[in-house]
Amino acid sequence: MTRILEAAVLGILTGGVYALMASGLTLIFGVMRIINVGHGALVILGAYLSFAVWHNFGLDPFLTLVITMPVMFGLGVVLQTVFIRPLKTDREALSVLVTYALALGIEGLLGYFFTSNYVRLRTWYDTASFPVGSFYITYVYIFGFLLCLAILGGLFWMLYRTTFGGAIRATMLNRTAAQLIGVDVDRVSAIAFGIGMATAAAGGVVFGMTNAFNPGSHYDLISRLLTIIVLGGLGSLRGAVIAALVMLVTEDVTSAVTSPVWASFAFFVVLVLVLLVRPQGLYGVRVRDRL
Amino acid sequence: MRLVGSLTALKAAGLVLAFAVALALPAFAPDPATTNIAVFTMMYVGLATAWNIMGGYTGYISLGHAGFFGFGSYALGLLLARFAIAGGYSAFLFVPVAGLLTAVLAAGIGWFALRTRAATFVIVTIAFMFMLQLLAENLVGITGGGGGLSFPVPPWHGGDFNIPYYYAMLALATLGLGISWRIRFSKFGLGLLAIRDDEDKALAVGVPTGAFKLTAFIVSATLVGMIGAVYGYYVTYIYPQFVVDPLIGISMVLMVFLGGLGTLGGPILGAVILEPAQLWLAYHFGASRLYLVLYASVFLLVILLLPRGIIPSVGELITKWRAGVGGSKGTGDPLPKAVSP
Amino acid sequence: MRKSLTVAVAGFGLTLAACGGTTPTAAPSPGTPITIGVSVSLTGDFSGDGKALEQGYDLWAQDVNAKGGLLNHKVTMKYVDDASSTQQVVTNYTNLITSDKVDLVFGPFSSLLTIPASTVVDRYGYAFPEPAGGGPSVFNRGLKSIFFVQPAAVEDNLVSYTKWLLSLPAGQRPATAAYATQDDPFTQPQIDKAKSLLEAGGITTAYYKVYPAETHDFTALAQQVVNSKADAVILGTQLPDALAFPQAFAQQHYNPKTIIETTGPDQGASFSGPLGANTEGIMVPAGWTPSATAYGNDKFVNEFIAKYGGAAADISADAAEAYSVGQVVDQASAKANSIDNGKLITQLHTGSYNTIQGPMSFDPTGKPLGGVGVYIEQWQGGQAIFVYPASVAVKPPEYPKNNWQ
Repeated sequence: MTRILEAAVLGILTGGVYALMASGLTLIFGVMRIINVGHGALVILGAYLSFAVWHNFGLDPFLTLVITMPVMFGLGVVLQTVFIRPLKTDREALSVLVTYALALGIEGLLGYFFTSNYVRLRTWYDTASFPVGSFYITYVYIFGFLLCLAILGGLFWMLYRTTFGGAIRATMLNRTAAQLIGVDVDRVSAIAFGIGMATAAAGGVVFGMTNAFNPGSHYDLISRLLTIIVLGGLGSLRGAVIAALVMLVTEDVTSAVTSPVWASFAFFVVLVLVLLVRPQGLYGVRVRDRL
Repeated sequence: MRLVGSLTALKAAGLVLAFAVALALPAFAPDPATTNIAVFTMMYVGLATAWNIMGGYTGYISLGHAGFFGFGSYALGLLLARFAIAGGYSAFLFVPVAGLLTAVLAAGIGWFALRTRAATFVIVTIAFMFMLQLLAENLVGITGGGGGLSFPVPPWHGGDFNIPYYYAMLALATLGLGISWRIRFSKFGLGLLAIRDDEDKALAVGVPTGAFKLTAFIVSATLVGMIGAVYGYYVTYIYPQFVVDPLIGISMVLMVFLGGLGTLGGPILGAVILEPAQLWLAYHFGASRLYLVLYASVFLLVILLLPRGIIPSVGELITKWRAGVGGSKGTGDPLPKAVSP
Repeated sequence: MRKSLTVAVAGFGLTLAACGGTTPTAAPSPGTPITIGVSVSLTGDFSGDGKALEQGYDLWAQDVNAKGGLLNHKVTMKYVDDASSTQQVVTNYTNLITSDKVDLVFGPFSSLLTIPASTVVDRYGYAFPEPAGGGPSVFNRGLKSIFFVQPAAVEDNLVSYTKWLLSLPAGQRPATAAYATQDDPFTQPQIDKAKSLLEAGGITTAYYKVYPAETHDFTALAQQVVNSKADAVILGTQLPDALAFPQAFAQQHYNPKTIIETTGPDQGASFSGPLGANTEGIMVPAGWTPSATAYGNDKFVNEFIAKYGGAAADISADAAEAYSVGQVVDQASAKANSIDNGKLITQLHTGSYNTIQGPMSFDPTGKPLGGVGVYIEQWQGGQAIFVYPASVAVKPPEYPKNNWQ
């Protein structure tokens, strides 16, 4: 029983990281109706940027966010304007290809500058942990989880309490109608992409502190992130967060109860089961021909 | 009238010539380096054409087709091992059997996946692909897991080794093209295109969308599975992560988009341009690690400049040119978008 | 539509016709420079190891040219990237041999890539000495041209370790052992053999798990090992998991008396960088250590540092393995007095060859004979040193290992 509890706690802690990463992804989909398969690569990019700052200036990885988040935000705005906005026809399909190309390009550049050796963001409190019952919870996971809560909280606050957030939500609901009432959807899209990238930067830091990574690490990430946002319902922020927690807890508990080998499989099985009953995901909205 | 008639005859003759070239290729370029590229290129011609049957005609973008590719590979490998077939020509006879097994799998996955639409469908196909990869890795007793699966090695001579594989790939690509053609000009094909344009309306006017979509999915997956089988046989040893490989899955999609989604020649053109380019780039620039960046740049340029793909874009240019030059004669084919080749 | 088809297929035909060529020919005349082709993983999963291989091969080429070349042929290395992919490695060796017409080829990284490559290379009658493909499936395909240049066949890698454990006095010996391994053709055979040997020696198995090579999150697995509370932890890892497990153990305040990993701890800076002080006590089977001085190893280490920088402890074993491949080919060509591939293949099946990893020889399938030189290396105080057997040990093994922070 304690093992299951341990696993559940671990699942919640790591779920927070995935929730943060997935929130950016689902936001991007909601606003622009594009599937950003390069999101994993963006997370890794964020991790490497933090790595560079940490390595060269000795800043604590969490503090590097002060630099990397604005940088990634700006980069996101640029990328969206240059590569995504021009897509007019066949948006969803082409965006997959474009974002995949971006992912490859990022992987190539990272490999060139950082080589393919595995690295990790290390801190002096890396292995510090405190005991809870018969096992230990690592501080790094706690801090990461708190960071995710803070940023997600900020995101929700912005979406539901500010005018700009209202503009984003309007665009997500109905792009054309939003335009009609005077929302500059292009600007909203660019900024939303920037926000997505900024959250990826934050996710990248926590990911980079808890996993060794190299430029090729984005493939594993993106498959899980995509599964999470579908489970949560494409475009739903709340859904992404809950789905991330559900997925990770399920995976870790399965791993503890049966075998780590089938844990990843459980991930996808959950998706399949939920979609059987609710094809639009947990919080998705079933619109005519758009899911 | 006469002009159109002779134009059609010209097109037909050109087609026969092109096929003859492909058929005779090993004769005038028997160099193994070339035939190796030919095998992989023809493989992608087949894959792109097969994928187009689903993605191009119905508009349902599957990013998980690599799962079927890998499944076909493993199916053939396991069949050959089970029946103790030695390397040689007889192994090719089992490729259709692998195809049949893939069809069964596709029916199951398709039934489930096609309950969703658009973006959700895309991601569900990705999820299934990873599930297949995980199964290949974890069912160690059957597939050999991470240790991989061995294929019997034919005793053919060094330089000629690649040639039977080339013809096998050519046969499958031709089969795919033939099926794609037949579908395109049938009621079934019209129904698929109707689904692409507006599925709910198609359903409303009586198109059996569910059955049609599933059929297209199964046909597409079966072809991909058979091609995967020949691939496994060619490289003689397969691993889960290398045959259920997202890169293969996305490459075939990119090729179709490059050439022209929904057209007949588009997938072929896309494959013929991209695969040799990719192999060449990796070979010459991989060592400098910038090969990925170059590849991605080319990729991006093409998508941004020719979003509809080469063939439709070129077609439009020609139509505009003709309309400009021909003026009142109006020889252009102003077909509505839904049925443009 | 038909037109589009025509264009496409004709274009295809013409493109390929343009690169058609003829088939290759005989051995190079004396004194002419030669090219050795290698496919290395410079991108993709195995890229860290690929780079180390490249460094080793380059250093060897430099040394052999300094003494006049391989049988008086100056050597140029030609590298191509296989992006850690089967398709590419097959294409690469096909191109290297038939299009670039290199004179010799060396092997790529990992059994995964070596196996498909080996059928291609064998087809053209080239010798295939390779540094990193040693799993059993490499040798049972009936090929005569493949040679695994390491001191022992892979499954015997942990035998020294089991000998050492079982030689400990009964009071100190670990009572239980936990095993976790990737289902990789390199790691799993070693773990399975070690497990059977240790069980026969009376050490109970507290945990045994084979996990997919593609696993990326090892926390749960590590937790299960921790829960087993085993005295000995024996892991079949590649670099990523070799890093993840000790990290997780330290976080859970779990200190087994002894821990050994199949690869990872022998990768120098790639291992010590991410782990810092928590490399303490971790063991790895090693055919090579920077501190050995036999067979020109000290010269190799000094030259490596001079050329690439860093410290001796940062050198990855992959580089040494690559260098050994060159040494073997050098000696074989001298003995056969030829660099013709056929003659090299015949020559390599006989005799013994001295490399910086020690002496080695090959059986008819290309497996290394003897298992003479698999030692145990352990990280003590930030340095990886030989600790067993006593004949090569710099210091005695640290047992039980000091606690991690």
